[in-house]
Amino acid sequence: MRLAPNQDQTIFAGVLARLLEDDGIAGFHTVANWSRYEYGEALDDRLGEAGFFEAAREADLGPVAAAMMVHEIAKAPVVIECAASALVRPFLGVEVPRPLAVVVDDAPGAIRFLPQAKTLLSISDQGLRVAPVEGQCRAVESLFAYPMGCLDVSPDWTALDTDPVEVRTLWQIALASELAGVLSGGLAAVLAYVRDREQFGQALGSFQGVQHRLAQDAVWIESAQLLALRAASSRDPADAALALGAVQERATRIGYDLHQFTGAMGLTLEHPLHRWTYRARSLRSEMGGASQAFLDYADAKWGGR
Amino acid sequence: MDFAWTEESDAFRMTVRRFLDRELPVDWSDIARHGPGSHEQTEFSLSFCPKLAEAGLLVPHWPEEWGGRDRPTWEHFILGEEMWAAGEPRGGQYMNVNWIGPVIMRFGSDDQKQRYLPQMAEGRAIWCQGFSEPGAGSDLASLRTKAVRDGADYVINGQKIWTSYAGLAETCFLLARTGEGRSGIAVFLVPMDTAGIEVRAIPSLIGHGDIHEVFFTDVRVPETCRLGEEGEGWTIVSYALSNERVGIPRYEMSARELDAMVAELQGRGGFGNAVIRSRAAEAAAACEAARMLVYRVVDERARGVAPGTAANLARVAVVEADHKVTDFGMDFLPDCFSGSEHSRFLSHHERAIVTGIAAGAAEIQLNIVARRHLDLPKGL
Repeated sequence: MRLAPNQDQTIFAGVLARLLEDDGIAGFHTVANWSRYEYGEALDDRLGEAGFFEAAREADLGPVAAAMMVHEIAKAPVVIECAASALVRPFLGVEVPRPLAVVVDDAPGAIRFLPQAKTLLSISDQGLRVAPVEGQCRAVESLFAYPMGCLDVSPDWTALDTDPVEVRTLWQIALASELAGVLSGGLAAVLAYVRDREQFGQALGSFQGVQHRLAQDAVWIESAQLLALRAASSRDPADAALALGAVQERATRIGYDLHQFTGAMGLTLEHPLHRWTYRARSLRSEMGGASQAFLDYADAKWGGR
Repeated sequence: MDFAWTEESDAFRMTVRRFLDRELPVDWSDIARHGPGSHEQTEFSLSFCPKLAEAGLLVPHWPEEWGGRDRPTWEHFILGEEMWAAGEPRGGQYMNVNWIGPVIMRFGSDDQKQRYLPQMAEGRAIWCQGFSEPGAGSDLASLRTKAVRDGADYVINGQKIWTSYAGLAETCFLLARTGEGRSGIAVFLVPMDTAGIEVRAIPSLIGHGDIHEVFFTDVRVPETCRLGEEGEGWTIVSYALSNERVGIPRYEMSARELDAMVAELQGRGGFGNAVIRSRAAEAAAACEAARMLVYRVVDERARGVAPGTAANLARVAVVEADHKVTDFGMDFLPDCFSGSEHSRFLSHHERAIVTGIAAGAAEIQLNIVARRHLDLPKGL
């Protein structure tokens, strides 16, 4: 048991942190037509060129480093397709071009990252399939702060031999890591706001009613990250389901707090809060949401009735 | 980063479990029914702990000089998990092991070390902790019990409350005021048979004989009972708390009781409902979240990292875990909370409802997380 990153993971995290400190590629900027998201093309390119998306396959980095990366990138105001590329793509058993979009159990409707995706991955009980989708999809408007798209044509699927349970588990870990990171990014933005914003002659963040809720949120977010890292370390289906269920269950309440304490300012598109909260609103319902994740855990942990 | 136990840690855990299987009597659940502070369990600890000591499992993390084996922090913690999950057969002696002993090693005189540490390492010492007072709970520094010098003695007057183990304790780790403010607090190691000490049990929801009032009326003790210097009390308490850091690994018992509740439901064919299954997993998530935050603290300690705020986050999570498990049981197995057939659920409930109150209220932990961890400003 050692919960500190090893030397390679520490170096990896340090280089990533320096990239993410670059406001030009990872910071908040409003975008044309007040889009709810900004796709971080430059960040995506830099990470790809430096081989970050291959980390999970490296012995001294592994899925833990990849999960750390997903978490840290999700904290940024810009969005890139990272979770599937970092934690799922390295274990598909075939080389497929990224970015990836993922659909689980043939869920209907628009798919995250499909407008950018070169490959669509389908995970279902019938198995795994991949299809090239570049240039085959239509971007759709969405409440969520992700690029969302629908396919115009039926994809040209190729079945994969890889164990679908293993990939489903990795995708749960990826989603849990991303959602914990998104909530962490949102919390940091709100903390900055309530430290400065004064009402009744003192900072909002000095009121105990505000402090206790944000402190509780921090407890939930930090434990969620640890649960996701543990799942990345074990790649155990029960650990993965629990990590995803835990963070999805809390996302609604945390999102409420984050908006509540930034008041009307957090409802504007000039403030970055929506970049996190409207990603969280999407992620909290992925793969059936917390209830399904908890049922998956119950199956894995305790078996039947 | 590695979340797996080493083979050595696993082997140690199995050693502890085998010891418990061998040494806990068949009526252990009846003895443990009313918690570590109960009369029955405290008395039991006096026969159990010497056996634990003989097996090298009472103070394995203590230095050899004082009866330990210099074993790693994680072993000490595994020991704590297994003991608490079993119902804490060490009774109040877990305090000796975790922090009273180490505090005496650090601040005690040679005479105090010789007098108290061997007894603790042999499992023969019952202590109580004289901290809280009627007017000093969460705000511990406002304590009013006074120790006034009189020649080579101190004369102590005041009252302590919520004191566990006081009914059978031989010695009290007492905080008393010798001056004003935090710098006016001292620690005294007071024999409980000293004239002027009166102990009254307080009937409570958390087990028979678990908490007490302790009255000190003109209690005269020699200067040699003082631990450290006058005014050093707050420093000593802070050191004690840093030794304790995360307190009792309560989530371990909660996780095991949750498994037992699920097994009970399965035995009745009542674990097929999706709502019940989901609620069980939600409670498990709270236990594992607490476990992860606690492990982060233990890991920091094992690596020699100075105490920060990680323990405060962990303590908040532990409260939620305890409550979610007992709430799950009461929601779906309400019949198990009457009668004696499922005494372990009753016993867990009584331990769980105190979690957010004892050893630092959850709201105080949230204050600390807000101020020191999130860097939020102080109110006017």
